[in-house]
Amino acid sequence: MDITRLLVANRGEIALRIIRACREMGIETVAVYSDADAQARHVRAADYAVRIGPAPASESYLKVGAIVDAARGAGADAVHPGYGFLSERAALAEACAAAGLVFVGPPAAAIERMGSKIGARALMEQAGVPVVPGQTPADQTDGGIAAAAARIGFPVLIKASAGGGGKGMRSARDARTLAEAIPAARREAEAAFGDGTLYVERLIERPRHVEIQIFADDHGHAVHLFERECSIQRRHQKIVEESPSPALTPALRARMGAAAVAAATSAGYRNAGTIEFLLEGEGDAAHFYFLEMNTRLQVEHPVTELVTGTDLVRAQLIVAMGRPLPWRQEDLVQRGHAIECRVYAEDPAQGFLPQAGPLRLYREPGGPGIRIDSGVEEGADVPVQYDPMLAKLIASGETRLQAIDRATAALRGFPILGVRTNVAFLVQVLRHPAFRAAEVHTGFVDEHLASLLETPAPPEAVGAAADFMRRQGDAGARAIGSGAAAAAVHDPWADLTNWGRD
Amino acid sequence: MTVTRGPAPGELIVRDGDQVAQVFAVRAGDTLWIFHDGIVHEMAADTSAPRRGAHAQGSLTAPMPATVIEIKVAAGDAVQRGDILIVLEAMKMELPVRAPGDGRVKAIHCRPGDLVQPETVLIDLSPPEARDDAGPGRAGG
Repeated sequence: MDITRLLVANRGEIALRIIRACREMGIETVAVYSDADAQARHVRAADYAVRIGPAPASESYLKVGAIVDAARGAGADAVHPGYGFLSERAALAEACAAAGLVFVGPPAAAIERMGSKIGARALMEQAGVPVVPGQTPADQTDGGIAAAAARIGFPVLIKASAGGGGKGMRSARDARTLAEAIPAARREAEAAFGDGTLYVERLIERPRHVEIQIFADDHGHAVHLFERECSIQRRHQKIVEESPSPALTPALRARMGAAAVAAATSAGYRNAGTIEFLLEGEGDAAHFYFLEMNTRLQVEHPVTELVTGTDLVRAQLIVAMGRPLPWRQEDLVQRGHAIECRVYAEDPAQGFLPQAGPLRLYREPGGPGIRIDSGVEEGADVPVQYDPMLAKLIASGETRLQAIDRATAALRGFPILGVRTNVAFLVQVLRHPAFRAAEVHTGFVDEHLASLLETPAPPEAVGAAADFMRRQGDAGARAIGSGAAAAAVHDPWADLTNWGRD
Repeated sequence: MTVTRGPAPGELIVRDGDQVAQVFAVRAGDTLWIFHDGIVHEMAADTSAPRRGAHAQGSLTAPMPATVIEIKVAAGDAVQRGDILIVLEAMKMELPVRAPGDGRVKAIHCRPGDLVQPETVLIDLSPPEARDDAGPGRAGG
């Protein structure tokens, strides 16, 4: 069952990532788009493009029927869901199977089993993996959620039972903050996944987030591709990920990898997946707890690709075609270090508020060991309807510090103008002594927020450039604002004119 | 210090003797977006017109990222147009924030040593009581 034409049920950088892999393998691609994305890069990069609805995701990228109809209409024989949107919805895998389309991902039953936190936890417990105390209460009323939290013990996390990515996740230290958090978490869960069912678990304090990439095929092979550490998060969403994790010893890595493979095998899992763990402590004495499984490709998959020398999307397509995995466990080694920084349109100074608008200037950096996976371009708008991630900057090097230095230098040469971004914030993270010393936990951003938000006063070069720009714009602007009325309004900036220019 | 356009749209080359800096700048409405060394600075595009942040109700905002050096008035003080209210430091230069019109200090929202961002409200002014001498009496513009 070869794939000859694949529909990519996604947008942005991951759609482009999948289209590139298909092109390398001689597979034709079908893009889908909402009205907000008619001109988007992923549309122009594909061989075919099908409109699936208006801008809101709930009326386009989240519509199983529209995706399957588009695939059939365009003569596709396979569907790749990417991450987010429908990637962890068994309904899409089922609809694909019913329509005779290959779904590039696990079977619907495995998505259902592992995607539901209860099923995944039960499997993990059977496989002997420790789990964080938690449950999805049968009684989903506010009172039912509160009762579950009381049984588990505060502090607790409540989150969407149906999805990941931190959407719908809230922490609560006591019953009062919980009462405020429940309706908000439910609304976010409904908006993001179309399912407001909430899950409640004990909050483990100051943990690291360490996850294991696994891969399984139809021929009884299952492997792991080591770990990714994703402890640098804001609003419970990852922004910096790396491999290897500085906290793992070879023995702990082997234990976590074996546990993840055992779990995947017992679940009858196929294709790429990730087992997320919380890690308490470091080294051989550390404890790890199963957090959840992501039954899809991860945003941060490139760091694994760079340290293992693999192409995970290509492997996904190979496995989906029913062929054996391209590697055995003994073929896989970690070499060097890789680090990913997610560049978002957001304002770190305003609680990482998402930003939208025109990218008036956007120039990606390059250089040795730098990979940029992006879905945007200069002149295009960042739409308000979707996740505001602009690009992933992935740096690799021989050592952790070299990878960090490469990422820092590349970010310092990544101009994005017109929309506020987190580029300067990412640089502050990478330069932070605690980060460089690998003293991290999932609360790192909150703990160091004040120093991470510091911005130095602009150097003289910036003032000179501003003055230059003002003089360039003067010809048109002067004619409008002339006269006493404009002059009467004093602006402190008017005092700043002496740049000592020649 | 000399500034010339670089070969790419939006690119500026700033030279100070042999020292060279690559800067990217665009103008969008009343804001200049200027990128240098990983940091984007949002600055007023036209220094002769009021910034977006200077509201009619009489708040004065920071024009750019700056440090508060000195506060020369207290809440309740009467001020006259042109009085220095706050002194900021940015780009190694002192930057006086002056009263845009006659009025009274309603509230002060910063302290010496604060690092303030563009649009951060520094001080609220109320218009002068009762009498209005037909001039541009609105504080803050």
